Amino acid sequence: MRDSFSLTYRNIKERKARAALTILGITVGIAAVIALMSIGYGMQESITAELVEMADVIVVMPMRMELGSIGTFGSFTDRDLDAVKRIGGVKHAVAMIGEMEEVEYRGEKFMVQIVGIEPRDMDAVFGETVKLEEDGGAGTEASGRALRDNDHKACEIGYSIAHDYFSNEVGVNDRLTINGTKFRVVGIIGKQGGFRSEVDSQIYITTRDSVSVLDNEDISTIFVRVRNIENAEEIAAEIEERIDDNHKLDDFTSAMTMGSAIEQMESIFGILQAVLIAISSISLIVAAMGIMNTILMSVMERTHEIGVMKAIGAKNRNILSLFLLEAGVISVIGGVCGCIAGVIGAHAITFGIQAAFDVEIAAIVKPEVLLGGIAVALVVGMLSGLYPARKASKMSPVEAVRYE
Amino acid sequence: MIHTENLTKIYRMGDAEVYALRDVNLEIKEGEFIAIIGSSGSGKSTLLNMIGCLDTPTSGSVFIDNVNTASLNENELAEIRREKMGFIFQQFNLVHTLNAVENVALPMFFAGVKRETRLKRAEELLVNVGLGDRIYHKPSELSGGQQQRVAIARALSNDPEIVIGDEPTGNVDTDTGNAIMDILEGLNKEGRTIIVVTHDAEIAAHAGRTKRMRDGRVLD
Repeated sequence: MRDSFSLTYRNIKERKARAALTILGITVGIAAVIALMSIGYGMQESITAELVEMADVIVVMPMRMELGSIGTFGSFTDRDLDAVKRIGGVKHAVAMIGEMEEVEYRGEKFMVQIVGIEPRDMDAVFGETVKLEEDGGAGTEASGRALRDNDHKACEIGYSIAHDYFSNEVGVNDRLTINGTKFRVVGIIGKQGGFRSEVDSQIYITTRDSVSVLDNEDISTIFVRVRNIENAEEIAAEIEERIDDNHKLDDFTSAMTMGSAIEQMESIFGILQAVLIAISSISLIVAAMGIMNTILMSVMERTHEIGVMKAIGAKNRNILSLFLLEAGVISVIGGVCGCIAGVIGAHAITFGIQAAFDVEIAAIVKPEVLLGGIAVALVVGMLSGLYPARKASKMSPVEAVRYE
Repeated sequence: MIHTENLTKIYRMGDAEVYALRDVNLEIKEGEFIAIIGSSGSGKSTLLNMIGCLDTPTSGSVFIDNVNTASLNENELAEIRREKMGFIFQQFNLVHTLNAVENVALPMFFAGVKRETRLKRAEELLVNVGLGDRIYHKPSELSGGQQQRVAIARALSNDPEIVIGDEPTGNVDTDTGNAIMDILEGLNKEGRTIIVVTHDAEIAAHAGRTKRMRDGRVLD
């Protein structure tokens, strides 16, 4: 065995450049698959981790499919909210009034989602994850306080509203003009990003202001937290039924549990990942052809040597295993290089995504993926080596010896 | 030990049939040193390939120790080449990526001999042909005569009864050629059967018996 390897090693060494290119081919193929899988796992993990934190949440919206499109139609009433609150197992039910309004700051105007909410309910909605922006350090202002029930014409704003929307930074105690009325900024919410990034570009005001100042009392969303996650699906179904009853409509209400959102997300990711891996497998097929070509060339070049080996007593399977080993060694080296390149690539890409899109993703490299990568390389290599190796083993010794 | 019966080999060249061998009947006894002499194209190499189980006849048979080689499959033929035959070629045909001792050990590798055993034996064989100081040299670092001596050592590695030389002195100068023939004579004295093909009468003179070939026939 040791001698087979040393023979193989010398044959590969003899054609260094060619072997290196072949190895590069399989490296690229394996690296692509491994990088994509690791990034995929990382994305899945970061998204489901955020969602799991909200697993007890049911989001209720007036939503239905019409002519193939999904949209919101109508709104809820206080009666709906009360009905939801009366359902057993519901811990919190929070009404949110959402409306796009024109917001002006120092002459610049943007349409922004204004959310009317009872300030005391904000903790129930956001839990621990939404906090005021941390102090930016020495010389920067503190980012205020949370919205209070007795606040009048006051608002708490998302991170992007404060820092990105307007050419001037919006700070605590600055005034924003919402639909013609000035609101004082009392607090700035810390950066959310990722799955909660919508919070970053919203402005929160009290329900009372929403009704009296902006003249909007349509509840667009009821945000529910349940006591026991296991009952979430049943409760969601009951919420839909109660509200539909109130409005005497079918399919008026959509109550979506985060659990089902996680499942949906996971299945979407599964499909996405499968497609990406299928695409990157094309490079593996190309690499396989590269190996086959290299071994074919090697067989051609060494025809005479094959003949000599047969003349001095090599059996067909001796020759077969010699060339298969060459294919195997090339592909395993490629596989290992591919794993290394794939891991580096995955981290580089997630780093790039983090920097570019400001989301928290870390590539997750699973050991079984690496082992699988090497195994795939080996199998691909051996299969592509099989044809040339068989060709070599079947050569007639006298013709091969005569070949110069 | 070896005999052929109406051994015939026909090569097809397009539409033409070329008789490389015509009804060759030859008997070679155990322990004999026979030279087959003839000009190029006389069929002597073809005959040697048949006897050496490298090629299969169109008709007729080769018997080795009374076994008809036509009845053997590729693997069995490979075993005969490995165990009973030692080949020496005109072009030496060493594996150029391997050094001398590894080349000599190669037939033992195919025979499944343990690494230490075969390297030790290969070294001894190289010492016997006077290359004890060249065992780690690559073929490219050896002269023609030295390469041919490595090839002889390789031919002996599985201790064959028959040593076959196809123009073994064809690529070396006369003195080296004679030295090589001396080695073969020595092997013959050890009791091995030696079959050498050559076009050189002087070389053939080392053999105990000479057979001349012309146009695919063995002349009497």
